[in-house]
Amino acid sequence: MPRISDALQRCSRRVLAPLDAACNRLYGWRHNPLYQSGTIAVALLGVVLITGVYLLFFYRIGEPYGSVARLADQRWLGGWIRSFHRYASDAAVVAVAVHAFRMFAQDRSWGPRALAWVSGLVLLFVVLVCGWTGYVMVWDAQGLTLAREGARFLDVLPLFSEPIGRSFVGDLEIPSAFFFLNLFLHVALPVAVGLILWVHVARIARPLLLPPRPLTWGVVLLLLALSVFVPASIGPEADLFRVAERAPFDWFFNFWLPFTRPLPAWLAWIGTIVVSTALLAIPWIVKPRGVRRAPSVVDERLCTGCRTCYLDCPYEAISMVPRDDGRAEFVARVDPALCVSCGICSGSCAPMGVGPRGRTGRDQLAGVKAFVAALPADHRAAVVIACTHGAGRVSTEVAVAGVRVHDVDCLGNLHSSVIEYLLRSGVGGVLIASCPPRDCRNREGPKWLEQRMYFGREAELKQRVDRRRILVVYAGEGERGRVLDGVNVLHARVAALDQPGVETDIEIDLECEPVPEEVTP
Amino acid sequence: MIARVIVGTLVALAGTASLAALSHVPWAEDTADHALLRLAWRTRGVQVDECRRLSPAEIAALPAHMRREEVCEGRVLPYGLEVRLDGAVVIDDTVRAAGARADRPLYVNREIALEPGTYHVDVRFRLLGAGNANDETATPASLTFTATLTLARKEIALVTNDADARALVLRGHGVVP
Repeated sequence: MPRISDALQRCSRRVLAPLDAACNRLYGWRHNPLYQSGTIAVALLGVVLITGVYLLFFYRIGEPYGSVARLADQRWLGGWIRSFHRYASDAAVVAVAVHAFRMFAQDRSWGPRALAWVSGLVLLFVVLVCGWTGYVMVWDAQGLTLAREGARFLDVLPLFSEPIGRSFVGDLEIPSAFFFLNLFLHVALPVAVGLILWVHVARIARPLLLPPRPLTWGVVLLLLALSVFVPASIGPEADLFRVAERAPFDWFFNFWLPFTRPLPAWLAWIGTIVVSTALLAIPWIVKPRGVRRAPSVVDERLCTGCRTCYLDCPYEAISMVPRDDGRAEFVARVDPALCVSCGICSGSCAPMGVGPRGRTGRDQLAGVKAFVAALPADHRAAVVIACTHGAGRVSTEVAVAGVRVHDVDCLGNLHSSVIEYLLRSGVGGVLIASCPPRDCRNREGPKWLEQRMYFGREAELKQRVDRRRILVVYAGEGERGRVLDGVNVLHARVAALDQPGVETDIEIDLECEPVPEEVTP
Repeated sequence: MIARVIVGTLVALAGTASLAALSHVPWAEDTADHALLRLAWRTRGVQVDECRRLSPAEIAALPAHMRREEVCEGRVLPYGLEVRLDGAVVIDDTVRAAGARADRPLYVNREIALEPGTYHVDVRFRLLGAGNANDETATPASLTFTATLTLARKEIALVTNDADARALVLRGHGVVP
């Protein structure tokens, strides 16, 4: 029976794929801001931190509104730095939301990735609370509304001896301790953001925290220009004796206000708890039932202890442990609790001794032999090897533009011997249709693919294989056109070459060269 | 290529402009043009201690260091809150002390939305039950506020307890002729 979560993910991918494709056309996959949403969020939080330190010097808890208003009036520095601080915060919330949406749509939230999902949501929550305290600091109409709303929520809890809401009725001056505590939270919460970010990336190898420089500068300069030309406004000063007039509100941080304001505080709490629980439970809701993606296993008889799979694993699921059979010093061991079954280790192992069951190099070789055996003679001019997750979704088709498709779960999974086998068996050319590197479901598939094809990384494509007959194209899920263009380019390229030789009894070299000591991280 | 750069720049600018727009959307939690009469105060109330003598069996059941012949539990007596506007009762309620054992202060925090205009306001806060309200630190047995208030749109009149004067007073807006 189809599940609602599956349908939601499908719908989300239908939204995401054309947007990704459009951004790829405009900015190229390297600088696609949708692919880089997570790193953009980190970069923006860095901007917020730096600008926040400057603003801190001018904030006065005894005169909150006045000090911020004076900052806003500083035309040459304070004004735009305050605006930059605010717009960068807004953009960070957008980036985090896009990042979470991507992870949900691409089914990258469950299993060993659940920690990243949950910590990411906690991170977003802390950022939103940090923004809340930031707007209260300004102490304009928006700040007063947020302070009252916060007090209303907290007064439901049996935690405080005095109702906090009483601070804002007007019978007494608001104690400066309130503004001090608020400022303290606003400064302390970013420390929590840093710690949670560390947890967020704890289970991945080589986490990328910053986008490529051109994209970083592009985003920074745009927000800077916005800060200079459209400075962030400040509402009228908070007045405890007037019903608030319409004032500018920031909907990136305060989107929840229209929902909670009309509700009794206890009902708003229940709503918040229900929504938060549903979001936090996504890894367990979307996790496929019945079908378990088997973790990688190591055939210790084949393992030479070369450490390539250990180095290539994007999730640090493989460790090297001493072996006790008198052979090479170390043997690879997979931690099933950390393995997401990406299969990247399959592509890294020359002796084909590691990988998820059914997707090891040996399994792939058996698969491609069957594929070639079933390949009609008039379809040997070219073959497409396509990733099943992206690459214009051509993997769902038998043939694209008249060229037969051989699908692989991830191109990082692809063992180079598959390509060698195809070309030695008489196929004219191989088009490798991969997801763009920053859009890889398994993080580093295209990166290792390129290294293995062209830069000699284990398990490298042997020198004897004619690279002119291989073309790698990067295409997102909504970029079928790129694959078709690639087929045409490959056809033209192959047509200019001699007819390929056909081998009938192909022997694949399974030797593994040990990785030099210095590359060990 | 140039067209792509131009379109890419325009899209980026549009996204940035949207960010600025959504960062400043005018909103008010309350769009009506009414005024507010706010009643907000905190009082200690009147505490009464209810004591009883323990039986020998009850005393024996207690640990040696906790044995007392008499145990007392204090609680704060409730007050009745009545608010009349131009003679009509708009609030008639009992205010109970906060805390699980009703031994915390009494908190009043009510808001009444009013059309802008002039109102005769009569607030009575009276002790319910018998207790010693003559103690100087206790809340008087009766606190009253009577005045004619004129409120314009969006103005808030606050009726609160002045602990020093031991009386309900007006703060904020509302002109007393």
